[in-house]
Amino acid sequence: MSTLVSAHALTKKYGTFTAVDGIDFEISEGECFGFLGPNGAGKTTTVRMIHCVSPVTSGTLIVDGLPASVNNRALKKKTGVIPQEITLDIDLTVYENLVVFARFFDIPKREARARIAELLKFVELEAKRDSKIDQLSTGMKRRLLIARALLNRPKLIIADEPTTGLDPQARHLIWQRLRQLKTQGVTLILTTQYMEEAQQLCDRLVVMYQGKILKAGEPRGLIESEIGKDVAEIRVPADQDARLIADLSPFACGHERVGDTLYFYSRDGHDLRKRLVELDLPNTVHRPATLEDVFLKLTGRSLIE
Amino acid sequence: MNLSYRIYHVFVRNLISYKRFVLTTFLVSLVQPLFYLITFGIGMGAYMTGAFGGKSYLHFLVPGVIVSSVMMSATFECLYGTFVKMIHERLYDALVATPVSAEDAVAGDIAWASFRGLISGSLMLLVAAVMGILPVSPASVVLLVLVMLITGVMFGSLGMIVTSLAPNFDFFNYYTELVITPMLFFSGVFFPLDNFPAWMKTLAQFLPLTHAVAISRAAFSGVFTSGLLLNFAVVLVLVTIAFYFGIRRMKKRLIK
Repeated sequence: MSTLVSAHALTKKYGTFTAVDGIDFEISEGECFGFLGPNGAGKTTTVRMIHCVSPVTSGTLIVDGLPASVNNRALKKKTGVIPQEITLDIDLTVYENLVVFARFFDIPKREARARIAELLKFVELEAKRDSKIDQLSTGMKRRLLIARALLNRPKLIIADEPTTGLDPQARHLIWQRLRQLKTQGVTLILTTQYMEEAQQLCDRLVVMYQGKILKAGEPRGLIESEIGKDVAEIRVPADQDARLIADLSPFACGHERVGDTLYFYSRDGHDLRKRLVELDLPNTVHRPATLEDVFLKLTGRSLIE
Repeated sequence: MNLSYRIYHVFVRNLISYKRFVLTTFLVSLVQPLFYLITFGIGMGAYMTGAFGGKSYLHFLVPGVIVSSVMMSATFECLYGTFVKMIHERLYDALVATPVSAEDAVAGDIAWASFRGLISGSLMLLVAAVMGILPVSPASVVLLVLVMLITGVMFGSLGMIVTSLAPNFDFFNYYTELVITPMLFFSGVFFPLDNFPAWMKTLAQFLPLTHAVAISRAAFSGVFTSGLLLNFAVVLVLVTIAFYFGIRRMKKRLIK
Protein backbone atom coordinates (compact mmCIF):
# COMPACT_ATOMS: atom_id res chain seq x y z
CA MET A 1 0.00 0.00 0.00
CA SER A 2 1.33 3.44 -0.81
CA THR A 3 1.88 6.12 1.79
CA LEU A 4 -0.67 8.92 1.90
CA VAL A 5 0.64 10.97 4.81
CA SER A 6 4.17 11.08 6.12
CA ALA A 7 5.55 13.25 8.87
CA HIS A 8 9.15 13.67 9.94
CA ALA A 9 10.19 15.62 13.02
CA LEU A 10 6.83 17.39 12.77
CA THR A 11 6.68 20.22 15.30
CA LYS A 12 4.10 22.82 16.23
CA LYS A 13 4.77 25.65 18.62
CA TYR A 14 2.43 28.34 19.90
CA GLY A 15 4.81 30.97 21.20
CA THR A 16 6.94 29.13 23.74
CA PHE A 17 4.47 26.27 24.16
CA THR A 18 5.26 23.16 22.15
CA ALA A 19 2.00 21.44 21.20
CA VAL A 20 3.54 18.83 18.91
CA ASP A 21 7.12 17.87 19.64
CA GLY A 22 9.00 16.42 16.67
CA ILE A 23 6.85 13.41 15.84
CA ASP A 24 7.24 10.90 13.00
CA PHE A 25 4.52 8.76 11.48
CA GLU A 26 3.32 7.35 8.18
CA ILE A 27 -0.25 6.68 7.15
CA SER A 28 -0.99 4.27 4.29
CA GLU A 29 -3.73 4.67 1.76
CA GLY A 30 -6.95 2.94 2.74
CA GLU A 31 -6.20 2.40 6.41
CA CYS A 32 -7.80 3.86 9.50
CA PHE A 33 -5.11 5.54 11.54
CA GLY A 34 -5.79 6.71 15.06
CA PHE A 35 -4.28 9.41 17.25
CA LEU A 36 -5.04 8.45 20.81
CA GLY A 37 -4.38 10.60 23.81
CA PRO A 38 -5.78 12.66 26.66
CA ASN A 39 -6.90 16.28 26.23
CA GLY A 40 -4.02 18.52 25.30
CA ALA A 41 -1.86 15.67 23.98
CA GLY A 42 -1.45 17.34 20.59
CA LYS A 43 -3.82 15.10 18.56
CA THR A 44 -6.03 17.86 17.23
CA THR A 45 -3.07 20.12 16.50
CA THR A 46 -1.49 17.30 14.48
CA VAL A 47 -4.56 16.63 12.36
CA ARG A 48 -5.13 20.35 11.86
CA MET A 49 -1.69 20.51 10.26
CA ILE A 50 -2.56 17.50 8.08
CA HIS A 51 -5.71 19.13 6.74
CA CYS A 52 -3.91 22.41 6.13
CA VAL A 53 -5.60 24.79 8.55
CA SER A 54 -2.63 25.20 10.86
CA PRO A 55 0.90 26.00 9.66
CA VAL A 56 3.74 23.61 10.44
CA THR A 57 6.39 25.20 12.68
CA SER A 58 9.18 22.83 11.64
CA GLY A 59 9.75 19.37 10.23
CA THR A 60 8.09 17.99 7.12
CA LEU A 61 4.53 16.92 6.48
CA ILE A 62 3.68 15.44 3.09
CA VAL A 63 0.07 14.62 2.22
CA ASP A 64 -0.65 12.80 -1.04
CA GLY A 65 2.70 13.90 -2.44
CA LEU A 66 2.28 17.56 -1.54
CA PRO A 67 3.64 19.54 1.40
CA ALA A 68 0.77 20.46 3.72
CA SER A 69 0.42 24.22 4.02
CA VAL A 70 -2.34 26.69 4.82
CA ASN A 71 -2.49 27.89 1.22
CA ASN A 72 -2.73 24.42 -0.28
CA ARG A 73 -6.21 24.48 -1.80
CA ALA A 74 -5.50 21.34 -3.85
CA LEU A 75 -5.11 19.28 -0.67
CA LYS A 76 -8.14 20.82 0.99
CA LYS A 77 -10.14 19.91 -2.07
CA LYS A 78 -9.58 16.18 -1.54
CA THR A 79 -9.88 16.17 2.23
CA GLY A 80 -13.07 15.87 4.26
CA VAL A 81 -13.06 17.11 7.84
CA ILE A 82 -15.40 16.02 10.61
CA PRO A 83 -14.53 18.59 13.25
CA GLN A 84 -14.55 18.17 17.00
CA GLU A 85 -16.72 21.24 17.51
CA ILE A 86 -20.10 21.53 15.88
CA THR A 87 -19.31 24.09 13.21
CA LEU A 88 -22.60 23.92 11.34
CA ASP A 89 -24.07 27.09 9.90
CA ILE A 90 -26.95 27.76 12.30
CA ASP A 91 -28.41 30.47 10.09
CA LEU A 92 -29.13 27.84 7.42
CA THR A 93 -31.26 24.70 7.15
CA VAL A 94 -29.80 21.20 6.91
CA TYR A 95 -30.12 21.25 3.12
CA GLU A 96 -28.76 24.79 2.77
CA ASN A 97 -25.75 23.87 4.89
CA LEU A 98 -24.83 21.22 2.36
CA VAL A 99 -25.62 23.41 -0.67
CA VAL A 100 -23.37 26.19 0.60
CA PHE A 101 -20.51 23.81 1.31
CA ALA A 102 -20.85 22.15 -2.08
CA ARG A 103 -20.32 25.64 -3.55
CA PHE A 104 -17.12 26.04 -1.53
CA PHE A 105 -15.82 22.92 -3.30
CA ASP A 106 -16.99 24.19 -6.72
CA ILE A 107 -19.29 21.19 -7.16
CA PRO A 108 -21.68 21.91 -10.05
CA LYS A 109 -25.28 22.53 -8.93
CA ARG A 110 -26.88 19.46 -10.49
CA GLU A 111 -24.18 17.14 -9.20
CA ALA A 112 -24.42 18.75 -5.75
CA ARG A 113 -28.17 18.13 -5.61
CA ALA A 114 -27.75 14.42 -6.36
CA ARG A 115 -24.84 14.11 -3.97
CA ILE A 116 -26.73 15.83 -1.13
CA ALA A 117 -29.75 13.53 -1.57
CA GLU A 118 -27.43 10.53 -1.46
CA LEU A 119 -25.58 11.77 1.64
CA LEU A 120 -28.73 12.69 3.57
CA LYS A 121 -29.80 9.10 3.04
CA PHE A 122 -26.39 7.80 4.12
CA VAL A 123 -26.55 9.65 7.46
CA GLU A 124 -30.30 9.05 7.85
CA LEU A 125 -31.30 12.70 7.88
CA GLU A 126 -33.68 12.77 4.90
CA ALA A 127 -36.61 13.65 7.15
CA LYS A 128 -34.69 16.65 8.54
CA ARG A 129 -33.83 18.13 5.16
CA ASP A 130 -35.54 21.46 5.81
CA SER A 131 -35.03 21.66 9.57
CA LYS A 132 -33.02 24.39 11.19
CA ILE A 133 -29.83 23.33 12.92
CA ASP A 134 -31.07 24.14 16.42
CA GLN A 135 -33.91 21.66 15.89
CA LEU A 136 -31.43 18.78 15.58
CA SER A 137 -30.15 16.58 18.39
CA THR A 138 -26.39 16.40 18.99
CA GLY A 139 -26.28 13.02 17.25
CA MET A 140 -28.03 14.44 14.19
CA LYS A 141 -25.66 17.41 14.11
CA ARG A 142 -22.70 15.04 14.17
CA ARG A 143 -24.21 13.02 11.33
CA LEU A 144 -24.74 16.18 9.33
CA LEU A 145 -21.08 17.04 9.90
CA ILE A 146 -20.20 13.66 8.40
CA ALA A 147 -22.42 14.29 5.37
CA ARG A 148 -20.81 17.71 4.94
CA ALA A 149 -17.33 16.18 5.12
CA LEU A 150 -18.22 13.75 2.32
CA LEU A 151 -19.61 16.26 -0.20
CA ASN A 152 -16.36 16.48 -2.15
CA ARG A 153 -15.86 12.67 -2.28
CA PRO A 154 -12.68 13.02 -0.23
CA LYS A 155 -9.72 10.72 -0.57
CA LEU A 156 -8.78 11.43 3.02
CA ILE A 157 -11.24 11.88 5.89
CA ILE A 158 -10.21 13.41 9.16
CA ALA A 159 -12.50 12.73 12.09
CA ASP A 160 -11.52 14.73 15.15
CA GLU A 161 -13.26 13.13 18.15
CA PRO A 162 -16.38 12.45 16.09
CA THR A 163 -18.48 10.93 18.87
CA THR A 164 -17.78 13.23 21.82
CA GLY A 165 -20.94 13.82 23.81
CA LEU A 166 -23.09 11.21 22.05
CA ASP A 167 -25.33 8.52 23.49
CA PRO A 168 -24.44 4.87 22.70
CA GLN A 169 -26.95 4.49 19.84
CA ALA A 170 -25.72 7.61 18.07
CA ARG A 171 -22.13 6.60 18.64
CA HIS A 172 -22.60 3.15 17.15
CA LEU A 173 -24.35 4.59 14.11
CA ILE A 174 -21.38 6.88 13.50
CA TRP A 175 -18.92 4.01 13.91
CA GLN A 176 -20.87 1.99 11.38
CA ARG A 177 -20.80 4.83 8.88
CA LEU A 178 -17.08 5.37 9.34
CA ARG A 179 -16.39 1.64 8.85
CA GLN A 180 -18.58 1.69 5.76
CA LEU A 181 -16.44 4.50 4.34
CA LYS A 182 -13.33 2.48 4.96
CA THR A 183 -14.66 -0.40 2.91
CA GLN A 184 -15.04 2.08 0.05
CA GLY A 185 -11.29 2.62 0.13
CA VAL A 186 -11.18 5.99 1.85
CA THR A 187 -8.29 6.71 4.18
CA LEU A 188 -9.48 7.66 7.64
CA ILE A 189 -7.60 9.58 10.31
CA LEU A 190 -9.26 9.50 13.70
CA THR A 191 -8.46 11.28 16.91
CA THR A 192 -10.13 10.07 20.05
CA GLN A 193 -9.83 9.73 23.76
CA TYR A 194 -12.25 6.81 23.78
CA MET A 195 -10.28 3.59 23.76
CA GLU A 196 -13.27 1.58 22.64
CA GLU A 197 -13.62 3.82 19.62
CA ALA A 198 -9.98 3.33 18.68
CA GLN A 199 -10.30 -0.43 19.10
CA GLN A 200 -13.47 -0.50 16.98
CA LEU A 201 -12.12 1.54 14.09
CA CYS A 202 -8.34 1.75 13.88
CA ASP A 203 -6.01 -0.50 11.93
CA ARG A 204 -3.03 1.22 13.44
CA LEU A 205 -2.67 3.94 16.02
CA VAL A 206 -0.25 6.06 17.96
CA VAL A 207 -0.59 7.01 21.60
CA MET A 208 0.23 10.68 22.08
CA TYR A 209 1.05 12.42 25.31
CA GLN A 210 2.40 15.94 25.86
CA GLY A 211 3.11 16.44 22.17
CA LYS A 212 5.07 13.22 21.73
CA ILE A 213 4.27 9.77 20.37
CA LEU A 214 4.72 7.26 23.16
CA LYS A 215 3.90 4.08 21.22
CA ALA A 216 2.75 3.06 17.77
CA GLY A 217 1.22 -0.13 16.48
CA GLU A 218 -1.91 -2.17 15.89
CA PRO A 219 -4.45 -2.09 18.73
CA ARG A 220 -4.21 -5.85 19.42
CA GLY A 221 -0.44 -5.88 19.17
CA LEU A 222 -0.09 -2.91 21.48
CA ILE A 223 -2.31 -4.50 24.11
CA GLU A 224 -0.41 -7.76 23.99
CA SER A 225 3.03 -6.23 24.10
CA GLU A 226 2.25 -3.61 26.73
CA ILE A 227 -0.21 -5.42 28.99
CA GLY A 228 -0.80 -9.01 28.01
CA LYS A 229 -4.12 -10.73 27.48
CA ASP A 230 -6.00 -10.37 30.74
CA VAL A 231 -6.34 -8.05 33.67
CA ALA A 232 -7.42 -8.89 37.20
CA GLU A 233 -8.64 -5.99 39.30
CA ILE A 234 -8.74 -6.68 43.00
CA ARG A 235 -10.18 -4.07 45.33
CA VAL A 236 -8.40 -4.77 48.64
CA PRO A 237 -6.73 -2.62 51.30
CA ALA A 238 -3.06 -1.94 50.57
CA ASP A 239 -1.83 -3.90 53.62
CA GLN A 240 -2.68 -7.13 51.84
CA ASP A 241 -0.55 -6.34 48.78
CA ALA A 242 2.54 -8.26 49.84
CA ARG A 243 0.59 -11.45 50.49
CA LEU A 244 -1.38 -11.27 47.23
CA ILE A 245 1.62 -10.37 45.11
CA ALA A 246 3.55 -13.31 46.48
CA ASP A 247 0.60 -15.54 45.77
CA LEU A 248 -0.32 -14.32 42.28
CA SER A 249 3.00 -13.18 40.75
CA PRO A 250 3.83 -16.59 39.27
CA PHE A 251 0.71 -16.31 37.10
CA ALA A 252 1.10 -12.66 36.11
CA CYS A 253 3.52 -10.69 33.97
CA GLY A 254 3.12 -7.53 36.00
CA HIS A 255 1.16 -5.82 38.71
CA GLU A 256 0.55 -2.36 40.12
CA ARG A 257 -1.53 -0.58 42.72
CA VAL A 258 -3.58 2.45 41.79
CA GLY A 259 -5.72 4.00 44.50
CA ASP A 260 -7.89 1.33 46.06
CA THR A 261 -7.20 -1.32 43.43
CA LEU A 262 -4.46 -3.85 42.84
CA TYR A 263 -4.01 -4.81 39.17
CA PHE A 264 -2.46 -7.99 37.83
CA TYR A 265 -1.65 -8.39 34.14
CA SER A 266 -1.16 -11.75 32.49
CA ARG A 267 -0.30 -13.17 29.09
CA ASP A 268 -2.23 -16.36 29.67
CA GLY A 269 -5.21 -15.61 31.84
CA HIS A 270 -6.14 -19.23 32.44
CA ASP A 271 -3.85 -19.97 35.40
CA LEU A 272 -4.42 -16.57 36.93
CA ARG A 273 -8.16 -17.07 36.77
CA LYS A 274 -7.89 -20.51 38.30
CA ARG A 275 -5.83 -19.17 41.19
CA LEU A 276 -8.27 -16.29 41.71
CA VAL A 277 -11.16 -18.73 41.96
CA GLU A 278 -9.22 -20.78 44.50
CA LEU A 279 -8.47 -17.70 46.59
CA ASP A 280 -12.14 -16.68 46.40
CA LEU A 281 -11.39 -12.98 46.95
CA PRO A 282 -14.21 -10.46 47.25
CA ASN A 283 -14.45 -7.46 44.86
CA THR A 284 -12.47 -9.08 42.06
CA VAL A 285 -12.92 -8.57 38.34
CA HIS A 286 -11.12 -10.64 35.76
CA ARG A 287 -11.40 -9.30 32.21
CA PRO A 288 -9.60 -9.11 28.86
CA ALA A 289 -7.00 -6.36 28.57
CA THR A 290 -8.06 -3.30 26.57
CA LEU A 291 -6.43 -0.31 24.98
CA GLU A 292 -7.48 1.63 28.04
CA ASP A 293 -5.02 -0.38 30.09
CA VAL A 294 -2.28 0.39 27.56
CA PHE A 295 -3.24 4.02 27.59
CA LEU A 296 -3.25 4.34 31.37
CA LYS A 297 0.02 2.51 31.63
CA LEU A 298 1.69 4.73 29.03
CA THR A 299 0.31 8.04 30.16
CA GLY A 300 -0.30 7.65 33.85
CA ARG A 301 1.32 4.84 35.74
CA SER A 302 4.33 2.63 35.42
CA LEU A 303 4.39 -1.11 35.83
CA ILE A 304 6.39 -2.64 38.61
CA GLU A 305 7.97 -5.71 37.14
CA MET B 1 -2.98 37.67 0.09
CA ASN B 2 -4.41 34.36 -0.99
CA LEU B 3 -7.61 35.73 -2.58
CA SER B 4 -9.76 33.98 -5.17
CA TYR B 5 -13.19 34.01 -6.82
CA ARG B 6 -14.41 32.01 -3.79
CA ILE B 7 -15.10 35.37 -2.15
CA TYR B 8 -18.30 35.16 -4.16
CA HIS B 9 -19.20 31.76 -2.62
CA VAL B 10 -18.87 33.31 0.83
CA PHE B 11 -20.99 36.25 -0.27
CA VAL B 12 -23.70 33.86 -1.51
CA ARG B 13 -23.62 32.02 1.82
CA ASN B 14 -24.40 35.32 3.52
CA LEU B 15 -27.12 36.09 1.01
CA ILE B 16 -28.82 32.72 1.66
CA SER B 17 -28.67 33.21 5.43
CA TYR B 18 -29.90 36.79 5.11
CA LYS B 19 -33.44 35.90 4.12
CA ARG B 20 -34.18 35.03 7.74
CA PHE B 21 -33.19 38.50 8.92
CA VAL B 22 -34.12 40.63 5.98
CA LEU B 23 -37.19 42.30 7.47
CA THR B 24 -35.70 43.18 10.84
CA THR B 25 -32.51 44.55 9.32
CA PHE B 26 -34.44 46.60 6.79
CA LEU B 27 -36.35 48.17 9.66
CA VAL B 28 -33.23 48.82 11.72
CA SER B 29 -31.36 50.23 8.74
CA LEU B 30 -34.21 52.62 8.11
CA VAL B 31 -35.15 53.79 11.56
CA GLN B 32 -31.99 55.53 12.74
CA PRO B 33 -31.24 57.58 9.61
CA LEU B 34 -34.93 58.34 9.26
CA PHE B 35 -34.85 59.64 12.80
CA TYR B 36 -31.96 61.94 11.84
CA LEU B 37 -33.77 63.19 8.76
CA ILE B 38 -36.94 64.00 10.65
CA THR B 39 -35.43 65.52 13.81
CA PHE B 40 -32.47 67.37 12.32
CA GLY B 41 -33.75 67.81 8.80
CA ILE B 42 -37.30 68.93 9.37
CA GLY B 43 -37.30 69.90 13.06
CA MET B 44 -34.00 71.75 13.29
CA GLY B 45 -33.84 72.61 9.61
CA ALA B 46 -36.82 74.94 10.06
CA TYR B 47 -34.52 77.35 11.98
CA MET B 48 -31.81 77.27 9.35
CA THR B 49 -33.51 78.69 6.29
CA GLY B 50 -31.23 80.60 3.98
CA ALA B 51 -28.03 79.10 5.33
CA PHE B 52 -27.58 76.52 2.58
CA GLY B 53 -27.59 78.50 -0.61
CA GLY B 54 -31.32 79.06 -0.50
CA LYS B 55 -32.09 75.33 -0.27
CA SER B 56 -33.53 73.62 2.78
CA TYR B 57 -31.29 72.00 5.40
CA LEU B 58 -32.60 68.61 4.25
CA HIS B 59 -30.71 69.10 0.98
CA PHE B 60 -27.52 69.43 2.97
CA LEU B 61 -28.32 66.61 5.34
CA VAL B 62 -29.47 63.82 2.97
CA PRO B 63 -26.14 63.08 1.19
CA GLY B 64 -24.32 62.82 4.53
CA VAL B 65 -26.94 60.67 6.21
CA ILE B 66 -26.91 58.26 3.27
CA VAL B 67 -23.19 57.52 3.52
CA SER B 68 -23.28 57.47 7.31
CA SER B 69 -25.99 54.81 7.20
CA VAL B 70 -23.69 52.81 4.92
CA MET B 71 -20.95 53.27 7.49
CA MET B 72 -23.16 52.05 10.33
CA SER B 73 -24.46 48.96 8.52
CA ALA B 74 -21.06 47.85 7.27
CA THR B 75 -19.47 48.49 10.67
CA PHE B 76 -21.99 46.48 12.65
CA GLU B 77 -21.92 43.62 10.15
CA CYS B 78 -18.17 43.21 10.51
CA LEU B 79 -18.18 43.74 14.27
CA TYR B 80 -21.07 41.74 15.69
CA GLY B 81 -21.91 39.64 12.63
CA THR B 82 -18.36 38.48 12.08
CA PHE B 83 -17.63 38.02 15.77
CA VAL B 84 -20.63 35.72 16.18
CA LYS B 85 -19.61 33.69 13.14
CA MET B 86 -16.03 33.47 14.33
CA ILE B 87 -16.42 32.77 18.06
CA HIS B 88 -19.94 31.53 18.71
CA GLU B 89 -20.73 29.59 15.55
CA ARG B 90 -17.13 28.68 14.65
CA LEU B 91 -18.13 29.05 11.05
CA TYR B 92 -14.77 30.36 9.93
CA ASP B 93 -13.13 27.16 11.21
CA ALA B 94 -15.38 25.16 8.90
CA LEU B 95 -14.78 27.52 5.99
CA VAL B 96 -11.00 27.41 6.07
CA ALA B 97 -11.05 23.59 6.00
CA THR B 98 -12.50 23.82 2.46
CA PRO B 99 -10.70 25.33 -0.57
CA VAL B 100 -11.95 28.72 0.70
CA SER B 101 -8.94 30.48 2.24
CA ALA B 102 -9.09 32.64 5.35
CA GLU B 103 -8.55 35.65 3.08
CA ASP B 104 -11.48 34.61 0.86
CA ALA B 105 -13.70 34.17 3.91
CA VAL B 106 -12.88 37.57 5.39
CA ALA B 107 -13.05 39.35 2.03
CA GLY B 108 -16.40 37.66 1.37
CA ASP B 109 -17.71 39.06 4.61
CA ILE B 110 -16.37 42.53 3.81
CA ALA B 111 -18.08 42.33 0.41
CA TRP B 112 -21.25 41.31 2.18
CA ALA B 113 -20.93 44.20 4.65
CA SER B 114 -20.53 46.56 1.72
CA PHE B 115 -23.67 45.14 0.12
CA ARG B 116 -25.57 45.53 3.38
CA GLY B 117 -24.37 49.14 3.47
CA LEU B 118 -25.58 49.63 -0.08
CA ILE B 119 -29.02 48.35 0.89
CA SER B 120 -29.21 50.72 3.88
CA GLY B 121 -28.01 53.66 1.81
CA SER B 122 -30.42 52.86 -1.01
CA LEU B 123 -33.35 52.66 1.40
CA MET B 124 -32.39 56.15 2.63
CA LEU B 125 -32.12 57.35 -0.92
CA LEU B 126 -35.65 56.10 -1.50
CA VAL B 127 -36.95 57.96 1.55
CA ALA B 128 -35.13 61.11 0.44
CA ALA B 129 -36.60 60.78 -3.06
CA VAL B 130 -40.05 60.65 -1.52
CA MET B 131 -39.16 63.91 0.28
CA GLY B 132 -38.20 65.34 -3.10
CA ILE B 133 -34.42 65.23 -2.69
CA LEU B 134 -32.66 63.45 -5.56
CA PRO B 135 -29.22 63.14 -7.14
CA VAL B 136 -28.86 65.54 -10.06
CA SER B 137 -28.64 62.97 -12.87
CA PRO B 138 -28.60 59.22 -13.58
CA ALA B 139 -24.82 59.48 -13.80
CA SER B 140 -24.65 60.90 -10.31
CA VAL B 141 -26.78 57.99 -9.08
CA VAL B 142 -24.04 55.71 -10.40
CA LEU B 143 -21.48 57.86 -8.59
CA LEU B 144 -23.52 57.59 -5.41
CA VAL B 145 -23.76 53.80 -5.65
CA LEU B 146 -20.02 53.65 -6.21
CA VAL B 147 -19.29 55.79 -3.17
CA MET B 148 -21.66 53.69 -1.06
CA LEU B 149 -19.89 50.48 -2.09
CA ILE B 150 -16.46 51.93 -1.37
CA THR B 151 -17.65 53.32 1.97
CA GLY B 152 -19.00 49.85 2.78
CA VAL B 153 -15.68 48.16 2.01
CA MET B 154 -13.90 50.85 4.03
CA PHE B 155 -15.92 50.45 7.22
CA GLY B 156 -16.27 46.70 6.77
CA SER B 157 -12.48 46.46 6.64
CA LEU B 158 -11.99 48.79 9.61
CA GLY B 159 -14.55 46.69 11.49
CA MET B 160 -12.51 43.57 10.69
CA ILE B 161 -9.41 45.15 12.21
CA VAL B 162 -11.35 45.82 15.41
CA THR B 163 -12.91 42.33 15.42
CA SER B 164 -9.50 40.74 14.96
CA LEU B 165 -8.48 42.32 18.27
CA ALA B 166 -11.73 41.88 20.20
CA PRO B 167 -11.75 39.53 23.18
CA ASN B 168 -15.55 39.96 23.58
CA PHE B 169 -18.54 42.04 22.53
CA ASP B 170 -17.87 44.82 25.07
CA PHE B 171 -14.69 45.69 23.23
CA PHE B 172 -16.77 46.98 20.32
CA ASN B 173 -18.14 49.81 22.49
CA TYR B 174 -14.74 51.48 22.52
CA TYR B 175 -14.70 51.54 18.76
CA THR B 176 -18.29 52.62 18.18
CA GLU B 177 -18.25 55.27 20.93
CA LEU B 178 -14.71 56.58 20.46
CA VAL B 179 -14.31 56.29 16.70
CA ILE B 180 -17.58 55.84 14.83
CA THR B 181 -19.74 58.32 16.77
CA PRO B 182 -17.16 61.15 16.68
CA MET B 183 -16.66 60.42 12.99
CA LEU B 184 -20.34 61.11 12.49
CA PHE B 185 -19.93 64.63 13.95
CA PHE B 186 -16.56 65.61 12.48
CA SER B 187 -17.10 64.55 8.89
CA GLY B 188 -19.53 67.21 7.77
CA VAL B 189 -22.60 65.02 7.89
CA PHE B 190 -24.77 67.38 9.92
CA PHE B 191 -23.11 70.75 9.34
CA PRO B 192 -20.34 72.21 7.17
CA LEU B 193 -16.79 72.06 8.53
CA ASP B 194 -16.15 75.70 7.55
CA ASN B 195 -16.53 77.18 11.02
CA PHE B 196 -14.23 74.70 12.76
CA PRO B 197 -10.77 75.91 13.88
CA ALA B 198 -8.03 75.08 11.37
CA TRP B 199 -6.64 72.09 13.30
CA MET B 200 -10.07 70.47 13.43
CA LYS B 201 -10.49 70.95 9.71
CA THR B 202 -7.11 69.29 9.18
CA LEU B 203 -8.12 66.43 11.46
CA ALA B 204 -11.35 65.97 9.52
CA GLN B 205 -9.33 65.45 6.33
CA PHE B 206 -7.95 62.25 7.86
CA LEU B 207 -11.39 60.83 8.50
CA PRO B 208 -12.52 58.58 5.65
CA LEU B 209 -16.15 59.57 6.11
CA THR B 210 -15.35 63.25 5.36
CA HIS B 211 -14.34 62.36 1.82
CA ALA B 212 -17.21 59.97 1.24
CA VAL B 213 -19.64 62.69 2.39
CA ALA B 214 -18.03 65.21 0.04
CA ILE B 215 -18.44 62.90 -2.96
CA SER B 216 -22.02 62.03 -2.01
CA ARG B 217 -22.85 65.72 -1.63
CA ALA B 218 -21.49 66.44 -5.11
CA ALA B 219 -23.77 63.76 -6.52
CA PHE B 220 -26.73 65.68 -5.10
CA SER B 221 -25.58 69.23 -5.79
CA GLY B 222 -24.10 68.63 -9.23
CA VAL B 223 -21.12 70.79 -8.28
CA PHE B 224 -18.09 68.78 -9.38
CA THR B 225 -14.82 70.50 -8.44
CA SER B 226 -11.24 69.32 -8.79
CA GLY B 227 -11.25 68.80 -5.01
CA LEU B 228 -13.49 65.84 -5.69
CA LEU B 229 -10.61 64.00 -7.36
CA LEU B 230 -8.61 64.46 -4.19
CA ASN B 231 -11.54 63.09 -2.15
CA PHE B 232 -11.61 60.04 -4.41
CA ALA B 233 -7.88 59.56 -4.20
CA VAL B 234 -7.91 59.73 -0.38
CA VAL B 235 -10.84 57.31 -0.11
CA LEU B 236 -9.19 54.82 -2.46
CA VAL B 237 -5.88 54.94 -0.61
CA LEU B 238 -7.57 54.55 2.78
CA VAL B 239 -9.81 51.73 1.60
CA THR B 240 -6.83 49.83 0.18
CA ILE B 241 -4.92 50.14 3.43
CA ALA B 242 -7.93 49.20 5.57
CA PHE B 243 -8.78 46.21 3.37
CA TYR B 244 -5.22 44.92 3.44
CA PHE B 245 -4.85 45.19 7.20
CA GLY B 246 -8.39 43.98 7.90
CA ILE B 247 -7.69 40.75 6.07
CA ARG B 248 -4.18 40.35 7.41
CA ARG B 249 -5.21 40.86 11.02
CA MET B 250 -8.16 38.52 10.73
CA LYS B 251 -6.04 35.83 9.10
CA LYS B 252 -3.66 36.08 12.01
CA ARG B 253 -6.53 35.46 14.38
CA LEU B 254 -8.10 32.65 12.35
CA ILE B 255 -5.01 30.67 11.35
CA LYS B 256 -2.89 29.58 14.27
